[in-house]
Amino acid sequence: MSHEGAPACGFKADWIRDRIGGRRLALALEIAATAEGLRAALENGGAIRKACAIGEDRACVGKIACGGKIACGGKNCAAGLTCSLVHATFLFMKSVELVGHIDADCFYVSAERVRDPFLAGKPVGVLGNQGACVIAKSYEMKRAGVGTGTPIWDAVARCPDGIYLKRDFRWYEVLSRKMLEVVREWSPRVEYYSIDEFFFSAVLTRERGTFQEIAEGIRDAIQERVGVPATVGLARSRTLAKLISDSAKPFGARVVADADAERELLADRPVTEITGISGRRETRLAAWGVRTCLDLALADRRLVRSLLTATGEALWWELNGDPVRSIEPRRPSHKALSRGGSLGGAASSDPVVIHAWLVRNLERLIEELRYHQVVTGRLTVWVSYRDGRSGVGQTDLAAPTDLFDRLLDSARPCLRSAWIRGAVATRMHLIAERLIPRSSRPLGLFDPPDDRARAIADLKERVNNRIGRFALRSAATLPLNGIYADSANGYDICDVRGKMCF
Amino acid sequence: MCDGIAVAKSEFSIELVERCGLASVLHDRGGEAEYRFLYRDRRPRLPVWRDGRIEIVRWGNGRGESRFLPRTGWTWLTTVEEGGWRNANAVPVDIPAAVILDKGVWIRVRQGIRGLVVPDERGVAVAYVVCEPAGHYYRVMTRNDRTPVLIGEKI
Repeated sequence: MSHEGAPACGFKADWIRDRIGGRRLALALEIAATAEGLRAALENGGAIRKACAIGEDRACVGKIACGGKIACGGKNCAAGLTCSLVHATFLFMKSVELVGHIDADCFYVSAERVRDPFLAGKPVGVLGNQGACVIAKSYEMKRAGVGTGTPIWDAVARCPDGIYLKRDFRWYEVLSRKMLEVVREWSPRVEYYSIDEFFFSAVLTRERGTFQEIAEGIRDAIQERVGVPATVGLARSRTLAKLISDSAKPFGARVVADADAERELLADRPVTEITGISGRRETRLAAWGVRTCLDLALADRRLVRSLLTATGEALWWELNGDPVRSIEPRRPSHKALSRGGSLGGAASSDPVVIHAWLVRNLERLIEELRYHQVVTGRLTVWVSYRDGRSGVGQTDLAAPTDLFDRLLDSARPCLRSAWIRGAVATRMHLIAERLIPRSSRPLGLFDPPDDRARAIADLKERVNNRIGRFALRSAATLPLNGIYADSANGYDICDVRGKMCF
Repeated sequence: MCDGIAVAKSEFSIELVERCGLASVLHDRGGEAEYRFLYRDRRPRLPVWRDGRIEIVRWGNGRGESRFLPRTGWTWLTTVEEGGWRNANAVPVDIPAAVILDKGVWIRVRQGIRGLVVPDERGVAVAYVVCEPAGHYYRVMTRNDRTPVLIGEKI
């Protein structure tokens, strides 16, 4: 078996032996002998893993090994891989690749400190969109008992020396994208998960060294080039990597890649630390004695599926070291788009003000529809009220559109359904679903021509792009002049595009 | 409004600190020393930039030291703009605040706040903080409908 094929992929037999030991050497060499095949396999690694993970039982990998087709359509076989080679590659990849998770430490506060060293070492809180709640706090403020979401008046009582700042998402996005650039230099596949979190594939290469060196290298590079402290966790799956980075904060770099160390970590952490498990899910699990992450990992898979559906089962696989959720370097198309949020100090029971919020949120939603070049076929308006009640209105549009007048005509009856007379509205969301590309939208037989409306929409977009967001807006939003007067309200966290989640 | 300000210790010269007896208003925040000037102090004072250097002057006339000056520590920006201080030899000044205190909330300001220095009948310099109606965010943040005029920024 020749090793000559290996350099094409950056691997050599000695190097492989050093890294993964003799047990898997035969497999590795078998793969390395077919450089083309290995390259294809690495490129399609996500597909292979997915194929293995979506099977109902773990014998799926074995099925592949004994000649079964890959569930994703045999694409990899077409690339010149035999099924046994796919199996071997799968095992090999588990040896040389881990999933990494990067989480910036108290990101908004750290971002503020980058441009304002005065804040270093002091208790600092960044306030949310309306200035009413702490959305990020420094470790100094956290020690005083201030948590995320704490109203400012409680925060001031707990931490009288705390310094409070207005959020600036434009600045946070600048630093977030700088971090993304750094991570992309270290990894071929990076997922922009949120403004301060990234998942990436950590692949062993001669230049980067061990996994621990990779984790420390990325962390240090972010600190040096962006100025933001971050924590890096590496593990066999996304869920594990996130738990590990959470456990290593602040400014940590930790690799946990063997089963014993994973169990030790999981045993210490409550199950609610897993993203997606809280509230009802937590209660359901507690009834079966599942309280820690380890309890969940050791629980019967079928029980977990019955309690938490397929999503929970995916978590179960991930906790047991089988990566189910692949890294997505590009954000998949949106299934829904939404705009809205807290009405803060402008919360009101006045129908005119509530209608103004509807129009504001609709204009923001239309910006998003136009950016993604989609039209919507369903609109939902959701309003929550100070007394705990909420209301929903939903409508299916006769013809999908992104035009203001038509969407507003549809949104008004929705708001009427969601409106509760006399109640103070505190939150509102507009959700657009059934999205289809604008270029392929079906035309209604009896729809009036929309050339005029489209020309107005184009003009509005051009004016706002040139002069400033919301420079040209509906007069129905006049009751919210105070909101528009503050330019910081012109850019929200959801306006940072390309991330996987909010 | 503004109930007080804080300035990093490094902003003041030793000579100024000793001459004005600022040791009593030295505090620690996050391991760093800063001088705090509060309106509720027994002798409220404010640092101001005047003729290219920092001076410490009396803050307002809350205790009635002057029979002619308003018995407060603040003045509206509109009053200044409309010439309400024209006959009092008032001079606009910058107040080098790093943090301002308003209804118990410490708020970071980047370049300081606007002020006005006016001599009383004995020729003693008295500073007033210039205020304007607060924006939505500041109002929610502090529950105050007045904000000091910030230099080069709005909250």
